Amino acid sequence: MLREPTGGAPLTDEEILIDYLESDQLVQHRAKPVNRARLTGATTLGLWALRVFVLVLGVMVIYTFVAQLGS
Amino acid sequence: MLGENDGPSMISYATSGATYGLGFFLPFIVVTFAMAAVCQEMAMRVGAVTHRGYGQLVLQRFGRLWGWFNAGDLVFTNLVTLIAEFVAIRVGLAFFHLGAPVAALLGVTLVVFTLSGGRYWRWERLVLGMAIFNALFLVAAILVGPRWGSVGQALVTFSPFPGGSFNTLLLLIASTIGATVTPWMLFFQQSASADKGLTPHDVSHGRWDTIAGAALAMVFGCGALIAGAALFHHGGANIDGLAGAGLPGALSHVAGHLVGVLFALGLVEAGAVAVLTISASTGYAVGECIGAPHSLNNSARGAAVFYGANLAAALIAAGIILIPGVPLLSIALNANVLATVLLPVALVFMIMLANDRELMGRHTNGRAHNWVAIAIAAFISVCGAAYAIDSFLHTLKVV
Repeated sequence: MLREPTGGAPLTDEEILIDYLESDQLVQHRAKPVNRARLTGATTLGLWALRVFVLVLGVMVIYTFVAQLGS
Repeated sequence: MLGENDGPSMISYATSGATYGLGFFLPFIVVTFAMAAVCQEMAMRVGAVTHRGYGQLVLQRFGRLWGWFNAGDLVFTNLVTLIAEFVAIRVGLAFFHLGAPVAALLGVTLVVFTLSGGRYWRWERLVLGMAIFNALFLVAAILVGPRWGSVGQALVTFSPFPGGSFNTLLLLIASTIGATVTPWMLFFQQSASADKGLTPHDVSHGRWDTIAGAALAMVFGCGALIAGAALFHHGGANIDGLAGAGLPGALSHVAGHLVGVLFALGLVEAGAVAVLTISASTGYAVGECIGAPHSLNNSARGAAVFYGANLAAALIAAGIILIPGVPLLSIALNANVLATVLLPVALVFMIMLANDRELMGRHTNGRAHNWVAIAIAAFISVCGAAYAIDSFLHTLKVV
């Protein structure tokens, strides 16, 4: 029997279908790759800036930790 | 969410209490758990709607480079955090005069035992059963006999604001954030939601589950700080033994043997539960990025990479704590700081996934949800950067 939605808008057809799937069918469903996202130039640049920022900070924390161990 | 109250978290909360007493850090823990609930809710929702783990989605949606960057961050942070979890188990067991080999053996045995069932539900029930003992920190807090009026005042006013060394304050702020909002949490929550078989129908229940877990973990985390604050008027962070991560021993001396026993058992529990969740999160990340089967519902033979990565992470961390002279407290606090510093990238991808209409349909973030999530990412970035830069400059003796 179809379960009632637990809140918000009613379930879509695809969500109702997914609700009926057995766990092995769900596993099979997620094995299908999703489409690649189209990122704008600004988004890609922002992600790279964030990556560099985090790597620099990570190196600083590790350097500080190792230096503290030495002292 | 109770897995968030891991060993280094509880050591971090209790150290904050011992260093600054009741004050700024008590309500700050409440704030960090509110932040964690927002992040975990997104992870649960994305996992339930897409039926895919975080690593798998980032890899497929944003390409191999970003997928591997994220997985690399996670595996590195997880290894450091796992070491800290074994440190917590070791500190707890040391109170009962048991050494590092017992801590290493206990952690690895638990990982093997919980993985041996071949079913997600068995694994989850075992971990939840152990996580109940996180309440020991609350019992310890009650037994130290705090002034509840002061607790209430601290929660409402965020005061007294901590003084002393600015760098120590930044370390504890970054460490408290990293204790609560972590990269492995995002990976684990989304992958576990998918592995558990959650569907869009379950999002509402999952949301309440996340909020309830956050509330419980927050209460127990505050319990650890309140218990630690018993040391504040007895020398605080300078108390003999604390620098060697002897929190249970110090508490036993100041607040009675029972408090020490409860705190030590609590540390063993917190470390053990986190060893299980963090090693599982490592297994999910490696399995998802390589494209190998990665489910607790698979047999060990059917998902050799997943189970192998899970066990290998635990074995490496267990091996490291057997090295004599390892700086316990420093590892525990710095593991949290590293998690804070590396979190923004994982969090930004999570926000992008939760706003991806093609994947999420009508389950995308609302506008208010987005503003809160972006504010959390910005706040965490600033706090992590402040500690990293200040410490680095101090180390170079520039300031």
